[in-house]
Amino acid sequence: MGNDLKQQEENLIDRTVIICLKSVSKYYRRSQETLRVLDHIDLDIYQGEILALLGPSGCGKTTLLRQIAGFDHRESGSLLMDGHEVVQPEVKRIMIFQDFNQLFPWKTVIQNVVYPLQVNRVGESDTANREIALEYLKLVELTGFEDSYPHQLSGGMKQKAAMARALALKPKVLLMDEPFGSLDALTRIALQNLLLKVWQETGVTIIFVTHDIQEAVILSDRIAVMGRETAGIKKVIPNLLDRPRVVGEAGYSEIYGHVYSLMDINPTK
Amino acid sequence: MKMTNKTSSYQKIKTRLFWVIVILVLWEIVAQSGIFPAAIFPSLLVIARALENSIVSGEILLQTAFSLALILQGFLISLLAAILVSSLAAGNKMFNGLVDTLAAIAHPLPGIALLPLIIVWFGTGTTSILVIIVHSVIWPMILNIMTGFKAISPIYKEAGLNFGLNRFQIIKDILIPASLPYVLSGIRIGWARAWRALISAEMIFGAVGLKGGLGWYIFKQRVFMDTPGMFAGIFVIVLIGIIVEDYVFAAFEERTVKKWGMI
Repeated sequence: MGNDLKQQEENLIDRTVIICLKSVSKYYRRSQETLRVLDHIDLDIYQGEILALLGPSGCGKTTLLRQIAGFDHRESGSLLMDGHEVVQPEVKRIMIFQDFNQLFPWKTVIQNVVYPLQVNRVGESDTANREIALEYLKLVELTGFEDSYPHQLSGGMKQKAAMARALALKPKVLLMDEPFGSLDALTRIALQNLLLKVWQETGVTIIFVTHDIQEAVILSDRIAVMGRETAGIKKVIPNLLDRPRVVGEAGYSEIYGHVYSLMDINPTK
Repeated sequence: MKMTNKTSSYQKIKTRLFWVIVILVLWEIVAQSGIFPAAIFPSLLVIARALENSIVSGEILLQTAFSLALILQGFLISLLAAILVSSLAAGNKMFNGLVDTLAAIAHPLPGIALLPLIIVWFGTGTTSILVIIVHSVIWPMILNIMTGFKAISPIYKEAGLNFGLNRFQIIKDILIPASLPYVLSGIRIGWARAWRALISAEMIFGAVGLKGGLGWYIFKQRVFMDTPGMFAGIFVIVLIGIIVEDYVFAAFEERTVKKWGMI
């Protein structure tokens, strides 16, 4: 088993690095004390993978994702995508939030998808943009809801629409901040499966923040476990279970157990 | 959901109508009882006849048109200026501080208090009335719009930045629609303020030529002790207020923020 893991890690190293973090640090200063949320993080993200950032709340996983998105300033370190320093948000890295209210409520579902396409002149005409939007709404199984307003959709449908809006821009990387965290268990499983289908069809790289070990194991190629004390990544665990993955199948519990043991769930021991 | 909306607005109209009738009946009872002299408390019929006469002669229509034209001008200038100023303030901290300070100074200042000064500066023409309307409307509007901008969920702005929107697009396509409920309440307050400012200013300025507006019309009837005429003028003001509230603002709200589930 140990040798297998070694082999698997080496296979991964062969892949192209799309985003490279070197010694990235982010501090919050509160009057006297300095809170080190991210302390010298090193991480490579490979093209086409799903990387899960897993950890308890307050461990800095969202802060790390926002760094990669380019939303926040950082104290030190370098964060390169395709060799260029990330200094601001860009269309090639699209963020999907946990909040259901990320769609613009004053636009219908299709207008929400079309608008960023118009801004970025993706299609040559409005008709072309509309066709692109319809195609991606079909991909996320929202056909028939084009003309609904966001407030008329369920939480799961809103997250699907947000996925369509993001994917239509053909980003290289999708940054997902616990996007299914507020959904009920059944809808969450349906959306995880949908995400995997979309990932396989588009080949997009996904960085997926979650605090749910099961979600991380089912979705990801690698799991970066973050801890509250360490202000950084404790360990990156490769997860090469065969897809489609089913909870409880061979290999599942080993990975689950491995991640669980890293999570400080019983810190007194 | 649409059904309940329709039924509830129908219910609202029914209740309204009921109370309007009750008030009119009470009015007529008091007028007919002779408790007050007819000269100061005229019956509905007399008021209706005064209204009819001034409509037939065309005078009240002329004055109403004059007032409406002024208020619309003042209102539009204020709305555009308020959106412009608030947008600039949203993008620049220094300017934001200036606008905040100016609003704190000017907002509590009644337009009428400025009248003598405005007469000295602009004379007694329509320009002065416009200045008073704009002063009365612009500050509550700016305050509302700026509050609306601040209340916007940061996710909308972040999503916008992520999609590569420039500053202008963020303001036009995100800040303004996202704060529309606040903009709308600013417009409502502004409209009420504009009417008050307009009618008071017209009463004081008097007529320029034949035209003096509804305020002047009401004021003028006092000179002739024409109480029914005064009520006719007041009736027109109330009517316009109700039409604008129920058919312009409410309809706009129905088609925007309500349809979008934002309120």
